[in-house]
Amino acid sequence: MKRILCTLALCTVPFLSACKKSGESAGGEEKLTIALLPKSKGNQYFVTCEKGARVAAAELGAELLFDGPTNSDPAKQNEIVENWISLGVDVIAAAAENKDGLSTALRKARAEGIEVITYDADAQTDARSFFVNQATAKGIGDALMDNAASLTGAEGEFAILTANLTAANQNEWIEVIKARQAEKYPNMKLVDIKPCDDQKDKAQQETTNLLSAYPNLKAVVAVCSPAVPGAAEAVKQAGKTGAVKVIGLGLPSENKAYVKEGVTQAVILWKVEDLGYLTIKAAAALAKGELKAGAAEFDAGKLGKLAVEGDNILLGTPFTFNKENIDQFDF
Amino acid sequence: MSTCCRYGVDETSTLLNAVMTAAKPSLKSLLARHEVVLLIVIALEILLFQSLGRRFLDGTNVSNIFRHSVEIGLLALAMTPVILTGGIDLSVGSMMGLCAVCFGIFVNEAAMSPLLAALLAVGIGTLGGGLNALLIARFQLPPLIVTLGTFSLFRGLAEALTKGSKSYSGFPDSFLALGNSDIAGVPAQIWIFLLVALGIWLLVHRMTIGRSFRAIGYSPEGARYAGIPVRRNLGLAYILAGAIAGLAAVILVARLGEARANAGIGYELLAITAVVLGGTSIFGGSGSVGGTLLGYLAVAVLNNGLSRITAYQLFDQPISSVARELSGMLTGLLLLLALAVTPLAKALAARRTKT
Repeated sequence: MKRILCTLALCTVPFLSACKKSGESAGGEEKLTIALLPKSKGNQYFVTCEKGARVAAAELGAELLFDGPTNSDPAKQNEIVENWISLGVDVIAAAAENKDGLSTALRKARAEGIEVITYDADAQTDARSFFVNQATAKGIGDALMDNAASLTGAEGEFAILTANLTAANQNEWIEVIKARQAEKYPNMKLVDIKPCDDQKDKAQQETTNLLSAYPNLKAVVAVCSPAVPGAAEAVKQAGKTGAVKVIGLGLPSENKAYVKEGVTQAVILWKVEDLGYLTIKAAAALAKGELKAGAAEFDAGKLGKLAVEGDNILLGTPFTFNKENIDQFDF
Repeated sequence: MSTCCRYGVDETSTLLNAVMTAAKPSLKSLLARHEVVLLIVIALEILLFQSLGRRFLDGTNVSNIFRHSVEIGLLALAMTPVILTGGIDLSVGSMMGLCAVCFGIFVNEAAMSPLLAALLAVGIGTLGGGLNALLIARFQLPPLIVTLGTFSLFRGLAEALTKGSKSYSGFPDSFLALGNSDIAGVPAQIWIFLLVALGIWLLVHRMTIGRSFRAIGYSPEGARYAGIPVRRNLGLAYILAGAIAGLAAVILVARLGEARANAGIGYELLAITAVVLGGTSIFGGSGSVGGTLLGYLAVAVLNNGLSRITAYQLFDQPISSVARELSGMLTGLLLLLALAVTPLAKALAARRTKT
């Protein structure tokens, strides 16, 4: 009998509490509440994003909620967003781990009148107003090629290490690199493109092969992050430190040792802290109605005026981390 | 019930009767107490979160508490008969991943209707549960090891089918409504949950098969001598668990709008937590479905409630930002306390009889 009662009591909970009105819980203060969703919470990349976001929130006098999954459960991002919807936040800024799944929750938020913006990794376009784009393919490709050229005196052979030959992102960047080289650096020659399956070991092995196959090689350009330290290790072991330049797209923290030793000359990435800062600035502007569809530029406070292409807010050209500045960054 | 440890073959049926009837009063009072304690815990949680949290008892949030945890609730229901038999099923979370992926493939690549695909997904869950049942009930292998094996096997299959990265989406809105709409003010999937809860409650507390689960858990040998088809009934518990995991997978996919290989990752442990918190003995033999429901509710309210506390700080962060870590810790503490209550009560009772 008691068990029946318990079960019955349990069943009535949703009904009883559904009757309660939310009432004045959100009233009173006019403080903007911005919710920031990372792909995962422990990831140093997103911790750095949060740092920048906090700076922006402090400038705006807004309340910042930062929460994300701690494991790979695909339901977590959705649950966090749905929690925020019922918390009544003003705007949600999300980096999508599971594009399609998260879009379901973000659409719900928009239907409830909450503004949605994405950053770092976009959701489906109908699930958000704007995407804060940390780097365009053109920006990344140009930065890599320009760095390779300036390090080699704009002449000689270079090779590219990529994730795999079918990776869409990487192929887009490689096309930009090729176009930039043809246009600006006619004395340079791309001799080979090798896949490393996004593995450091494989990248090291492929670089060793490249070094023996092309004795005149001047630079290795890595377009996936595990390949940068992989290539550096191979160049170091071959005793070609400095003779063959290593540059690539990756996290400063993963490459710090090689950069300091002079094996890796340049690591290209955006300033992650700025990405967090810009995201919060844009989110707040969106919530206040200052940022509208069709805007051509966006005033991002300390970052200055930034270009908006369609519904993409561009963070700008990537940043080059080298021996001089890499110590200032910890992501 | 503690005195009857040794018994002859011909005494077993009377013993079983004792387990099911005569021993009931003492067992029942213990369980009742446990459930009352849980009710108090839940009430305290609600009071705490309502006073500290933001819009905790808001209609949408109350819906969310259930919507976000219903899969774990289903797994906890499925796990109850299994644990009552003295077994364990670690594979249900992985089974969800496999069923979710299969469902996605059926709809996206085989162009099946979601309903048919859902039935097939539940069927696959049943088959997977059948594999557990075969190994555990037929070949008498230890449930912990068998389901540890299928835990890896099912997740591995799900990852192989998607090559680790592929996910399925683009399901029709009519299907997504199962995970995201309300019927009569209550999330659609909660109705399914209540139906399953009623079914499991009837099975465990009102049917002979269900009662035999406890008998098996209390003493498999005794149950066999009493003429209970132990293998068949034991197998049934695992098959049922597989089927319910399949159902939970479909509901999860409907909520997320996406089917991935890592669906349901870690859910089996949360389900076991809810069951044990609900007062079911991990050694089998005693426990109730009502307890499981309360255990599940206590965990679900805790998980949700912590994420509503934005005004108070912990480690320089709003509590809502460390809610997941905190709820993990508190759930663990709650579980340990729940486990400690029985021996403590016994020790106290023993001391009282001495004096």
